[in-house]
Amino acid sequence: MKKVLILAIAAAIVMLMPSFVSAQTASGTLTVTATVQGSIGLVFNSDAAGVALTGSGTNAATLAFGNVSAFGALSAGVTRPSVTATNFTVSSAVDVQVTKTNSASANYTLKAQLGAADAVNTWAVGGVAVTSAAQSTLTATGTYAANSNFPVAITIPFTTASGTAISNTINYTATAN
Amino acid sequence: MRKQNLTRTAAIAILMLSSAALFGQTATGVINGTLINKNGITLVFDSDAAGVALGNSGTSAASVNFGNISAFGALSAGVTRPSVTAANFTVQTIFDVNVTQGGLASASYTLTANLAAPAPTGFTYKVDAVTLTTVAQTIQANGAYGTDVAHNLGLVVLTAAPGAGGPAVGSPITATINFTATAN
Repeated sequence: MKKVLILAIAAAIVMLMPSFVSAQTASGTLTVTATVQGSIGLVFNSDAAGVALTGSGTNAATLAFGNVSAFGALSAGVTRPSVTATNFTVSSAVDVQVTKTNSASANYTLKAQLGAADAVNTWAVGGVAVTSAAQSTLTATGTYAANSNFPVAITIPFTTASGTAISNTINYTATAN
Repeated sequence: MRKQNLTRTAAIAILMLSSAALFGQTATGVINGTLINKNGITLVFDSDAAGVALGNSGTSAASVNFGNISAFGALSAGVTRPSVTAANFTVQTIFDVNVTQGGLASASYTLTANLAAPAPTGFTYKVDAVTLTTVAQTIQANGAYGTDVAHNLGLVVLTAAPGAGGPAVGSPITATINFTATAN
């Protein structure tokens, strides 16, 4: 009788054990959806031969020529490709890098436009005159993922008073071909 | 005389029957109910204020739609882009997991996650710092019960073009992540 009782207790323990041993779990499912779109990005990089850009590596950089003159000393990275009888030109190398993602595009077209009209000075990017009137095409076959130098040049007349600050914004647009 | 008796008897019978009809009919019974308190835990997904609004938020079968994603283009509300490299870009959102327990002495839970199927071409899925596979991996070992616990859901997308190792472009890509919370 005693053995039967012990066996019964043991059986009960064995039956109860699983409920203590098995961990309590809960589950859930999260369905994730996304649609990939091809895109291109543009950044300005400092060119080794040009002025060090503020904001290099971004798409909103600043190029400071410092003090410029027809005959005086220029800041590092600034060149003076020409001095004529009426004006002088200063220039700095600026690298533009366009990157493509999730796209089979072979190259890109790069255009530039001045943010505000400048009736006094003449602006050029990559040898192409740039105004505020319309976009100017700098290249129609830009190479992706490479630094391409498009020098920024300003031609300043001798009539400009000493100490005059010159400032403008150049808007660049790259379009995948 | 006999007719009068018959009439009287009939009148008494009618009165007796009508009085019985006036009393409300009643019946009584007893039900012996037994309640068994079963212990257990549940898991639901909740939208996080800083993330994408979930479909079916508050349930255990929710959905999150990142919308259009790209390395440089605009993103939907609640989606961030913590990194862009030459090889890939990452988009991310935040969602909450809320695990509730009842009848347990458990102090915390362990959360695991796995992809229901291998990731689509060009995609890698991450929850917090864990890169998901089809094998369950621990996301959190000491989750707190009864509160929204925020987790980052990241999609790492290759920048290669479609057909060159990159993902399909222009059509929704869907994956299912299975989460399991286990009482510690």
